[in-house]
Amino acid sequence: MRYLAFTTSAFQTRLAYRGQVWAQILGELVTVFAKIAIWVSIYRGIVSVDGITRADMLTYAILGGTLLGAWEWPHLVNTISTQIKTGDVAVFLLKPLHYPVMLLHSEIGNLGFKLTMVVVPVVIITSSVYGLLPPASVFHGAMFVAYWLLSFSLLFCLSAIAGLLSFWLMTAFSLEWLLRSLISILSGAFIPLWFFPENIAAIIKFLPFAWIGFHPTAVYLGKMDVGQTLLYFLIGLGWMLFLAGIVTLLWRRATQRIVVQGG
Amino acid sequence: MLKTLFLLVKMFIKSQMEYRGAFIVDRVAQFIAYGSAYGAIWVLLYKFDTLGGWNWPELALLLSFQLLAYSLGAAFSFNQFKNFEELVRLGTFDTLLVKPISPWAYLTFSGLNIGYAGHIVLAVGLMIWALFQVDAIWTFSSGIYFFTTLISASLLVGAITTMIGASAMVLVRSNYLFSIYFGFWELTRYPLNIYPAGLQWIMMTIVPLGFINYVPVSVFLGKDVVVLGSAAPFLSLIAGPIVVALAMLHWRFCLNRYQSGGG
Repeated sequence: MRYLAFTTSAFQTRLAYRGQVWAQILGELVTVFAKIAIWVSIYRGIVSVDGITRADMLTYAILGGTLLGAWEWPHLVNTISTQIKTGDVAVFLLKPLHYPVMLLHSEIGNLGFKLTMVVVPVVIITSSVYGLLPPASVFHGAMFVAYWLLSFSLLFCLSAIAGLLSFWLMTAFSLEWLLRSLISILSGAFIPLWFFPENIAAIIKFLPFAWIGFHPTAVYLGKMDVGQTLLYFLIGLGWMLFLAGIVTLLWRRATQRIVVQGG
Repeated sequence: MLKTLFLLVKMFIKSQMEYRGAFIVDRVAQFIAYGSAYGAIWVLLYKFDTLGGWNWPELALLLSFQLLAYSLGAAFSFNQFKNFEELVRLGTFDTLLVKPISPWAYLTFSGLNIGYAGHIVLAVGLMIWALFQVDAIWTFSSGIYFFTTLISASLLVGAITTMIGASAMVLVRSNYLFSIYFGFWELTRYPLNIYPAGLQWIMMTIVPLGFINYVPVSVFLGKDVVVLGSAAPFLSLIAGPIVVALAMLHWRFCLNRYQSGGG
């Protein structure tokens, strides 16, 4: 529980700049709106495509553009690489805490802020204009929450890996952009895998990125039955454990290599 | 004067080239990131053939025109002005005011960003491919129009970015305006005719980003232009210079009101 202080501290730091929250809401609103407009335009005069209705896609665009993209992961990549480069990381090595766990708690604070101040208003506004479907069933709704937590955990591990790799590659910038590109196409948060060419989708749906955007929303909309929902959750959990293992390994290697110069 | 500016550019390029390997890797990463984002749009068009009446080669032209105009305009503005509020807040800007050179010229040329090389390679490559694919009749005047509007669009990008940054002289903080700007920026990836009329108006007036790619490319392809109609060809040519003039007035206004933030 001692880590909880990092969560509240991150939340309060963000709160200090609350004056600019309206600008963030507006920026986010316009971005989500662009995605909605695309589906509205494509579904003009069409009822459903491959069993996916217009209402499904509008809900997909709202959830994919808000809840599932809520956490600003580049912040973590930059924090890790800056703290390693400047040597600030040494301060945390001296303390009785585990650095990656501390980062996780501090990012939960950031996520909490973004959710309450930006995402919730944007979801309310967009869904009151375009209509948000309820989860397909109570089971799917509950599993969506579990998938959403998994989505955040996976993204956290991927960003932590990118941040830690900058230790060897000395450029966090390119790692951030590469991760951005992988997420933009493979997460399915924008274009769902249903609309990908079949043989490509068959591969992408098993990559960890698919659990960031596509699988959670597909579960919400009830496009997977109970068995599939649970099976895919286990596969995603497996990916998460695997990636968390890589984070731990990289962190251990990094601490062994670290030589802090100056002070 | 010109010699000084040339020297400033040369020094900045030298400093950016200090880590040549990282510089090149960063450019490749950006190339891949934009490529993936466009890949997602390609997937959409692969499935649905057209978006708002635009097919993939036409959209590719729209995207490459936007990226090229952005890189050319932003090279002269974004890197320089994204942190302008820091210069104001810390009082560093005051040291520029006493230099025997225009503070705008100093800022712009001492930060002339060659980091857009990756963007430009992708934009030019995609543009050439798209120009061979679309049904457009090349005449001498359409060629001149294409080239001139590209310059006009670049001027517009540079002018808007400069205006947002310069607002820090009066508002002290201006970075939050960038988050709104990039929200609207997202809209220019798709043809404006897919948006509701109100938003189309905004994109032609208050936030004139419609002129960056939608208006010139539509005119070039012989498509109907929303809102502007037959005035589109003329307006797209003068949009850039007009916004540049506004930005110059804005700069002077801000400079007159500037009272130094640091201390």
